[in-house]
Amino acid sequence: MLTAEQNAELTRVGPGTPMGELLRRYWYPVAFTRQLEAFPVKRVRLLGEQWALYRSPDGSYGVVEEQCPHRRASLAYGVVEAEGLRCGYHGWLFGRDGTCLDQPAELDKTSFKDRVRARAGRAEELGGMVWVYVGPEPAPLLPRYDVYVMEGVRDLGHALLPCNWLQIMENAVDPHHVEWLHGRYFEFLGNRMGFEAPKSFQRRHVKVAFDEFEHGIIKRRLLEGHSEDDDDWAIGHPMVFPYCMRVGGAGIEQMQIRVPVDDTTTWFVLYTVHAPDGAPAPAQAAVPDYELPWRDEHGNHIVDYVEGQDIMAWVTQGPITDRTVEHLGKSDVGIAMLRKQFKQQLAAVAAGRDPIAVVRDPAANHRIDLPCEKNKFGAGADFALQWMNLGFTRYSPQLDDLLRLHTNAAEVRANAISPVGVDA
Amino acid sequence: MPSVRLGSMPDGSPAGARPSALPAGPLRDAERHLLDAPRHCPRCGAAITGPNGLVVEYWAADDRVFYCWCRSCDWTGTVVQVDRHIGHEAAD
Repeated sequence: MLTAEQNAELTRVGPGTPMGELLRRYWYPVAFTRQLEAFPVKRVRLLGEQWALYRSPDGSYGVVEEQCPHRRASLAYGVVEAEGLRCGYHGWLFGRDGTCLDQPAELDKTSFKDRVRARAGRAEELGGMVWVYVGPEPAPLLPRYDVYVMEGVRDLGHALLPCNWLQIMENAVDPHHVEWLHGRYFEFLGNRMGFEAPKSFQRRHVKVAFDEFEHGIIKRRLLEGHSEDDDDWAIGHPMVFPYCMRVGGAGIEQMQIRVPVDDTTTWFVLYTVHAPDGAPAPAQAAVPDYELPWRDEHGNHIVDYVEGQDIMAWVTQGPITDRTVEHLGKSDVGIAMLRKQFKQQLAAVAAGRDPIAVVRDPAANHRIDLPCEKNKFGAGADFALQWMNLGFTRYSPQLDDLLRLHTNAAEVRANAISPVGVDA
Repeated sequence: MPSVRLGSMPDGSPAGARPSALPAGPLRDAERHLLDAPRHCPRCGAAITGPNGLVVEYWAADDRVFYCWCRSCDWTGTVVQVDRHIGHEAAD
């Protein structure tokens, strides 16, 4: 339970708000690379503001505020040129840094253009997505987290959700929800609808733990029948500050991305890399992306897959969940810790310091490996097939190929094990 | 219901919710939170309301637990409101 004042401070992401200032210290994905390749300028919304994102003829990217400083028309309907983006209305040209380079209808020698500047951010491509930074200079590096740069078959599901990003992030430090939302509730639906829910999600949590580290909070769970040597406890997986969660297992590596579009909208992206041991990853001509359905034709939530269940919980909490009337228990202590971490980083920014997970050292940014369990829920290789068939991957245009990849890899691994007691 | 003193602290910050801001009759949990949540750091005494800190309330059985963080001294800890102290039972 929080006061209304604390809830507002933690959830408002617009310009000038404390959380908005903190969140503007990070890079965010706002589009898929193939979208800018198909058409070189795109309107995007981030942290409550509109931007025009563009891809220059040389393949580099730029981002400027959407409204032209001249007469406020949208630069998302502009002309992409080598030097920058030209407004479609009167032809004012803005360079990569927002400098006004040309005002075609003004006198040649006027200094008027020197008075005008568009707010500009930075934009880069990584892993099949276009990322932007719209905070103060000097800009930090775009973090090269392991999932974005590792070898494997990429598969990106996504959905635009009508709720605040923080309630999704609080789910990332809430281990107990798995045994209920994806365990008991899934089993209940399976019994009613005629499918078998995955048993590995139904194990009872004996205890949970949370450890702060330089990129967020590592979440650990000890499941019934397991020991502290099992991956879920010994390694765990992290909430990556301030808007991601690294998760995976059985040859599936994933970053769950929750982009704060505005106070009540979050772009949810499941950035997934399939890299099972035993099978080389086939080359991909492009990174496929697809939208996840989460409401049916009657407006009800689609809850017969794992991420659809999560979306149901996040969205039904309300556009900005009212934390003045919540009732947390001791099992929710990870949520309290997350809120504290946000408050600590708000204070760091207010004091003029970098918050955590801001990367500035190029030597440390070749590839940032995050801790993540391999043997998820002790389910072994079966976890991959369960997760694909009963998770969002069922909507993937390459589902059959992915199932075949994991099945073949499992066969290769099995054949590689020499039978005990049999001479070669 | 614990007794609560309402008024102002020496630095002028509110020590408790104003009685006029609370409805008559039994208080709801949200109102009890406004009334009872700690307002100052148990370690350094600085205010921990608003941007100065964080107080998250959770329940552990009958206990109301206030998870606190102080921006001034970075202390994190819990404050438990106690209505009744119960000791352990004597060993046989």
